[in-house]
Amino acid sequence: MLLWPHWLALVVVVPLAGSVVTPAVARGSGRVAGRWAIGVMTVTFAIAITLVLRVAQTGPFSYWFGGWEPPYGIEFRFDEFSAFSAVIAFIGLLAVIFSQRYAEQALSPKRIPYYYCLLMLNLTGMIGFTVTGDLFNTYVFMEILSLSGYALVAVSGEKTAEMAAFKYLVLGAVSSLFVLLSIGMLYALTGSLNMADVSARLTAGVPKLPLIVALAAMTLGYMVKAAVFPLHIWLPDAHAIAPSPVSAVLSGLVVKMGVFGMLRMYQIVYRADVVDLSVLNTVLVWLGAISIVMGAFFAIFQDDIKMMLAYSTISNVGYIVMGLGLASQYSLIGASVHVFNHALIKSTLFLAAGAIIHRTGYRTLTDLRGVGHGMPLTGGAMAIGAISIVGIPPTAGFLCKWYIALGAFQAGRPFFGFALVFGALFIFIYYIRMVNAFYFQEPVHPEVARIGEAPVSMLAPMLILAALCLVMGILGRIPLSFIEPAVTRMLATIGG
Amino acid sequence: MEVTDIRPMLAPMISFACAGLVFLMGKKPFWRNFWSLSAASLKLLVVFTMLPGALKGTVYVFRLVEFTPGIGLAFRTDALGMFFGIVSSMLWVFTTIYAIGYMEPEHAQVRFFGFFALCVSATVGIAFAENLLTLFLFYETLTICTYPLVIHEETPEAMKAGRKYLIYTLTGGAFVLLGTVLTYQLCGTITLSKPGILSLSAGPAALTWLFVSLIAGFGVKAAIMPLHGWLPSAMVAPTPVSALLHAVAVVKAGAFGILRVVYNVFGVELLRQMHLTTWLAYLAAFTIIAASFIALFQDNFKRRLAYSTVSQLSYIILGASLLTPWGATAAIVHIANQAFSKITMFFVAGAIQRKTGKTCVHELAGIGYQMPYTMGAFTVAALSFVGVPLFAGFVSKWYLSLGALQSGQWWFALVMIVSSLLNAGYWFPIVYLAFFKSPPGARLRIDEAPWTLLAPTLICAAYVIMLGTTVDVPAMPFSLARAAVQFVFGM
Repeated sequence: MLLWPHWLALVVVVPLAGSVVTPAVARGSGRVAGRWAIGVMTVTFAIAITLVLRVAQTGPFSYWFGGWEPPYGIEFRFDEFSAFSAVIAFIGLLAVIFSQRYAEQALSPKRIPYYYCLLMLNLTGMIGFTVTGDLFNTYVFMEILSLSGYALVAVSGEKTAEMAAFKYLVLGAVSSLFVLLSIGMLYALTGSLNMADVSARLTAGVPKLPLIVALAAMTLGYMVKAAVFPLHIWLPDAHAIAPSPVSAVLSGLVVKMGVFGMLRMYQIVYRADVVDLSVLNTVLVWLGAISIVMGAFFAIFQDDIKMMLAYSTISNVGYIVMGLGLASQYSLIGASVHVFNHALIKSTLFLAAGAIIHRTGYRTLTDLRGVGHGMPLTGGAMAIGAISIVGIPPTAGFLCKWYIALGAFQAGRPFFGFALVFGALFIFIYYIRMVNAFYFQEPVHPEVARIGEAPVSMLAPMLILAALCLVMGILGRIPLSFIEPAVTRMLATIGG
Repeated sequence: MEVTDIRPMLAPMISFACAGLVFLMGKKPFWRNFWSLSAASLKLLVVFTMLPGALKGTVYVFRLVEFTPGIGLAFRTDALGMFFGIVSSMLWVFTTIYAIGYMEPEHAQVRFFGFFALCVSATVGIAFAENLLTLFLFYETLTICTYPLVIHEETPEAMKAGRKYLIYTLTGGAFVLLGTVLTYQLCGTITLSKPGILSLSAGPAALTWLFVSLIAGFGVKAAIMPLHGWLPSAMVAPTPVSALLHAVAVVKAGAFGILRVVYNVFGVELLRQMHLTTWLAYLAAFTIIAASFIALFQDNFKRRLAYSTVSQLSYIILGASLLTPWGATAAIVHIANQAFSKITMFFVAGAIQRKTGKTCVHELAGIGYQMPYTMGAFTVAALSFVGVPLFAGFVSKWYLSLGALQSGQWWFALVMIVSSLLNAGYWFPIVYLAFFKSPPGARLRIDEAPWTLLAPTLICAAYVIMLGTTVDVPAMPFSLARAAVQFVFGM
C-alpha cells in the first residue's frame, strides 16, 4: 500500500485533520457531524490496530518525519506502551457512538459539531502523546489534549460546568508549565529533545542538581494531570459535570496521560541510570497508597453516581502510581496493564451512568433506587464494571491488582500489598452501595424501576466494553505477556 | 488418581442456576419451591455420584480457566472437600423443606430463596476449590450473598447487624486475599492439592505473617474469639438462614478454610517445626470455655445457640491445631457432628417461634407437652453437645481428647470435660423446663408444628444418633475423614 511507510504518522494525522474540518463538513448539522466523527474514529482505530499488531510481531519501530534522522528530525516511536493509542481510538469511537443520542439531548444543536471537533481533538492529542518519541512533541500534544479537555468540561454551558472547567484550567495550566520547564531544563542539560537521545546523553557528567529539579518538576506536572492525591482537587468536579461520554474519555484516558508521561520519564531515566530514583519512588508509592485510600474514602460519602466514579478514578490512578513507584517487574507490569484495563472499566461505568442519567434524569443513588430493574442491560453492564474495578476474578481488574500486590511483596514492601488489598476493600464497599441501591432498595421514584432501556447507540458501546472487562480478565495473560518485554527493557539498566 | 470431570464444577453451578431460575420465575410460589427443591436434590445426587470414586481414592478435577500460569479457577474433590461438600448439600435439602414451611408468611421470598441458593452454591464452591484463589472467590461470594438474608427483616436492628456482619467478614476476606498473594509470592503456587506447599526456606518471619493473615481471615467466619462479634448479632436473620448459614455454611466455611490452611497450605510438618499452632490451640480452648460461659447467661434462645456455635466451632480449630492424626479426625468429623446437632436445635427454635411466638428460654416452661416430638429432637441434640456416648458429639470429644493426649498436651482433654459440663449447664435447663415444668393454669395438649418444619427436625435428630452410634453412617462416611487424615499426615 502506498501509505504504508507513513502509517504511524497517519494515526495522528487522520483524527487531527478529521477533527479540524468537522464544523465545515457538518455545516451546522449535529447529525452529520456525529456520522463524520464515527467515520474518522473508525479509520483511526483501524490504523491503530494494525500498529499494535506490528509491534506485537516485530517489537518497537519508529517513523521519522520528512526522513530526518533523530535527533535532528522529529521521531514517532511506537512501543508496547504506545498500544494504548488503540485503546484511546477504540474508546473514542465508542464515546462518539454513544454521543449520537446523548448530545442531542444534553447540548444545544449549534454546539454539537464543535463538541465532536473538540472530542476528536482531545483524542488526537492523546494518541499523539502516546506515540511520540520527542519531548517537545509531548508538550504540544499534552496542550492539545488539555485545552480541548477544558473546553469539553464546559461544553454544556452550565454555570457549574464553567466553574469546574476553570478550576481544571488553572491547575492544568500550572502543571503544563512545570512540564515545559522540565523539558527546557533537560534540553539545556543534554542539548537534545529526542527521548532516546536525551537518555543516551544523560551520562555521569551531567550536573545532578538541575537534573533532579527537572525530574521533580516533570513528576509534579504529571501528577496534577494524573490527579494523584493531594493534587486531585480539580478532578471530581470536572469529571462529574462533563457530559458522560466526555467523562468516560477524561476518566478512562486523559488522566492516564499523566501516568503515561511518568512512564516515559522513567524510560528515559532508567535507561540513563545516572540518578538514584529511590526517593522519587518512595514518594510515588506513598502518594499512590494515600490516593487509593483517600479516593475510596471520599467515594463512600458520595450520593451522585458520577461523583462517586470520579473519586474512584483517583483510587485507581493511585494503584497505577503505586505500581510505578514499587519499581519491581511484577508491579510495573501490573501498573501498565492497569492503565489499559482501567480505561476499559471506567469507560464502561461512565457510559452506563450516562445512559442511566439520560433515561431517568436523576443522578443520585437515592433517586436511582431500583433502576437495575428498569434498565436491566445497563444495570448489568454497570455491575460488571463494578466487579471489575473492585478486582474480583475473573474480571479485568483482578490480574493487575494481583500483579501490583505481588510486586509489593517482590520489592520487599509488604505494607503496600496490605494497603492495596484494604483499598480494594474500601472500593468494594461503595460499589456494594451502588449495586444495593440499583437492585435491592425500595425505589424513591416508582417510575425509575419501569423506565425501559437506553437506545441501541448507547447500549451497544457499553455492552461491548462490559464484555471486554470480562474478556480482558479471562484472557488476562495476553496483555500481560504483551507488555512484559517493554517493562523488561525499561528495567534492564537498573542495577544491571 | 486424578480424573478430569465436570461434576466438581457442576455441583456449585446447579445451585447457581437454581438462583437464576428463582430470580426469573420465583414470583409464583410453586416454581420457587419447585426449583429450590429440585436443585437441592439434584445437587445432592451429583455429589453422591462422586462418592464411590472418592472412597476409592479417585480425585475429580476440573480446571475452569487459567488467567496466567498457576493462577486460575479450578475445582477438585479430595476427601476433605468431599466431606464438607456432602454435609452442606445434604443439609441444603432439609433446610429447603424447612424454609418453605417457615417462610410462608414472610415478604420478599424471591430474594430470600434466590440468595439462599447462591449461598449454597458458594459453600460447595468453597468445599471443592482447588486453589486458594478459587476458595477466596467463593468465600467472598458467600459473604455478599448472605447479606440480603441477614437483613431480610429490614428492621433497623437487622440493618445494623448486616452492616456489622459485612464489616467483619469483608475485612476477613481482605486478609485471606492478602495471604493468597503472599503465598503465591513465597512459593509460586496456590494449589490446595498437596499436603503443604510452603517450606521453611521462605523465612520464619514471612511465614508467621502469612499464617496470622490467613488464620485471621478465615477466623472471622469461624468466629474465633475475639473475632466472633458478628455472629450473635446476625441471629436477627430468619431461622432457616441462621440454621443453614450461621451454623453450617458460613461458619463452617471459615473452619474449613482454617483446615485447608493448616493441612494444605502449610502442612503438618512445617507447622510442627514452627510451633505456630500452639497459640491457636490456646485461643481455641479459651473460646470454647469463654463462649460457653456467655451462653449460660443468654435468655434469648437463638443467642444462646449462637454462643454455643462460637464455642463448638473452636473444637474444630483446636482439633486442627493439635497437629495429630486423632485431632485431625476430630476436627473433620466435627464438621458433620456439629452441623447436624446445631441445625436440629435451630429447627426447634424456629418451630417454637412460629408455633407459639416464644423466643426466650424462660418462656419455654411446659413446651414439651405441647410439642413433644420437637422437644424430643432438641433433647437428642442437647445430649450430643454434652458429649453423652451414643450421640454424635461424643465421637468428636473422644477423638479430640485422644488427639490432645497424643500431642502430649493433656490439659486440652480437661478443656473437653469442662466444656461438657458447661454444655450440660446451658442445655439441660431447657430440657427440664420443657418436660418437667408446666406453665401455671394452662391446659396443654399436643399441638405440633406443621410437617414441613417437623420432618427435617426429626430427620436431623435421627442423624445425630446415627452419627453417634456408628461412625460409618450411610452418606456420612467416616472413611472420607480417615482418608483425608491419611493424606495430610502422609500415612
